[in-house]
Amino acid sequence: MTETDPQVAKSPEVALAVRNLNFYYGENHALHDISIDFPARRVTAMIGPSGCGKSTLLRVFNRMYDLYPGQRATGEVIFDGRNVLERDLDLNILRARVGMVFQKPTPFPMSIYDNIAFGVRLHEKLNKAEMDARVQDVLTRVALWNEVRDRLNAPASGLSGGQQQRLCIARSIATRPEVLLLDEPTSALDPISTARIEELLDELKEEFTIAIVTHNMQQAARCADQVAFFYMGRLIEVDSADRMFTNPKQQQTQDYITGRFG
Amino acid sequence: MSFLFRLFFHDRTANALVWWLKLPDNARFSSQSSSRMTLATATQPEEARDKAGLSHSGSRRSGPDTAFHLLVAASALLVLVVLGGLVVLMGVGGSQAFRTFGLGFAFHDVWNPVADQYGAWAPLFGTIVSTLIGVAIALPLAFGTAFWLTAMAPPRIAAIVGTAVQLLAAVPSIIFGMWGFFTIVPFMARTVQPFLTHHFRHVPGIRFIIHGAPFGTGLMTAGLVLAVMIAPFMTAVMRDVFAAMPAMLRESAYGLGATRWDVMWKVVVPWSRTGMIGAIVLGMGRALGETMAVTFVIGNVTAVGWSLFAPRSTVASLIALQFPESPAGSLRLSALLALGFILMLLSFASLALARMLRGDTK
Repeated sequence: MTETDPQVAKSPEVALAVRNLNFYYGENHALHDISIDFPARRVTAMIGPSGCGKSTLLRVFNRMYDLYPGQRATGEVIFDGRNVLERDLDLNILRARVGMVFQKPTPFPMSIYDNIAFGVRLHEKLNKAEMDARVQDVLTRVALWNEVRDRLNAPASGLSGGQQQRLCIARSIATRPEVLLLDEPTSALDPISTARIEELLDELKEEFTIAIVTHNMQQAARCADQVAFFYMGRLIEVDSADRMFTNPKQQQTQDYITGRFG
Repeated sequence: MSFLFRLFFHDRTANALVWWLKLPDNARFSSQSSSRMTLATATQPEEARDKAGLSHSGSRRSGPDTAFHLLVAASALLVLVVLGGLVVLMGVGGSQAFRTFGLGFAFHDVWNPVADQYGAWAPLFGTIVSTLIGVAIALPLAFGTAFWLTAMAPPRIAAIVGTAVQLLAAVPSIIFGMWGFFTIVPFMARTVQPFLTHHFRHVPGIRFIIHGAPFGTGLMTAGLVLAVMIAPFMTAVMRDVFAAMPAMLRESAYGLGATRWDVMWKVVVPWSRTGMIGAIVLGMGRALGETMAVTFVIGNVTAVGWSLFAPRSTVASLIALQFPESPAGSLRLSALLALGFILMLLSFASLALARMLRGDTK
């Protein structure tokens, strides 16, 4: 990989453009005709009751569903001029460019250092000094460096839940992706750790396009620039966070965000 | 939780269940009247509540509870008695041999009933080497099968193959013995051994492993048959271990752009290290003691040597063959019991080794 920062090199208005996306778990039609744009270097929050398809949509963007037979998608997800759903797409490269963080921290059974280096080594040949610098850089960006600098070779499982989740975010951005997918990243964390992750999102969006699934309405209001409301596999409404939470156009959205169902 | 039990059982039964299932104390309840209890908690001082709790816990262990308690404790203690009995029987029975040949019995390589000279090294060597060969072959087989079944196979095919693995585990060892005798032994004698002799006869380092007349019996044949026998067990254990691995962890690795190979070696294997050691020990335990199948294919010659293709014997096969012809009180019988004693120690040692390896990871 070259030194030019891919995020600066091209600055499309829309990082991910979803067009007429349908998704199926076997016979089960889980997403119906979804069309939505994810603006570059903005946070888009996806909200909606459990089972509405928001996590499913997230897993389309890095083709995670490909791991499971019987799951398939039709339609288009345009990322950097290419349809992500194309059969012959190199998934390993796609996934290096579209990072993902999960509901629970998932540190690999290895040291803190190796957790970061794992993803980098898959795609780049760095010498020791470069790798050290990369590790320090991403750990600093997730505000973890000062906490772990003395124990980089200790197992990552020894960190607290909040630290582990920040490590997972660091691990994802270490491969220098353009898009970051966050699937309820704070659902297993305490309020303080949650607040730190939310602060982090604010900084990360200067560089990454962020799509976050959340059940926490306040979180969506605090962090997101754009909010999309899903219900029963359909996109009901998408708008700026301000308008969405003060003046939603759809009655269903209104009902959901005021807590009448979901 | 306790509320669920309450739907089906009387208070007392439900509380006993709570106790047996080791649920936390606050899951216990009393329905002397739950509303009264609530009232008590709300209005009365701490003391009264404690009393209510105490009087209740006092009734927990009466009658059938105590009987059950004794019953389960007795069955657990029986394990100790049986284990101790086995060790004593083997040790005492073998003491004559140990007295006659000293501790060198274990490393003496002559087993000669005619001269009444006995040493355990030949069968011991056979047991250890055939077990190691078996585990070395079964491990990658079991790992591959388990990984494929849990991570890659289409569900329907995984179900079929998974059932086949279980069926294979259920096949009695005598069947494997006959299969080995009629299939593997001729295959080794007619194909493998001539091939190896032809190509590697002059290669130093390999020559001494393969020399010997093409009988088809020997350590390699025994190891192969053992591998087929223990692989299903190891597969079952590893499959459980892999299935217990959080899908999110695997997805995290794929999510960084890792290939299946990377995920397997760098995430799945380290994560499941403990479980895999368990699988290996289970396989080793079975291979060490396997008697019938090995007796069919190993050739039963009490000799020591590095050739993997010459007839040998194992502890279990030797005992099985010579036990019926060893008169009570003879030195020969004592030597066989001493062999049994050493085999038990070997099994315990493999278990201890596993514990040690497991301890390291924590």
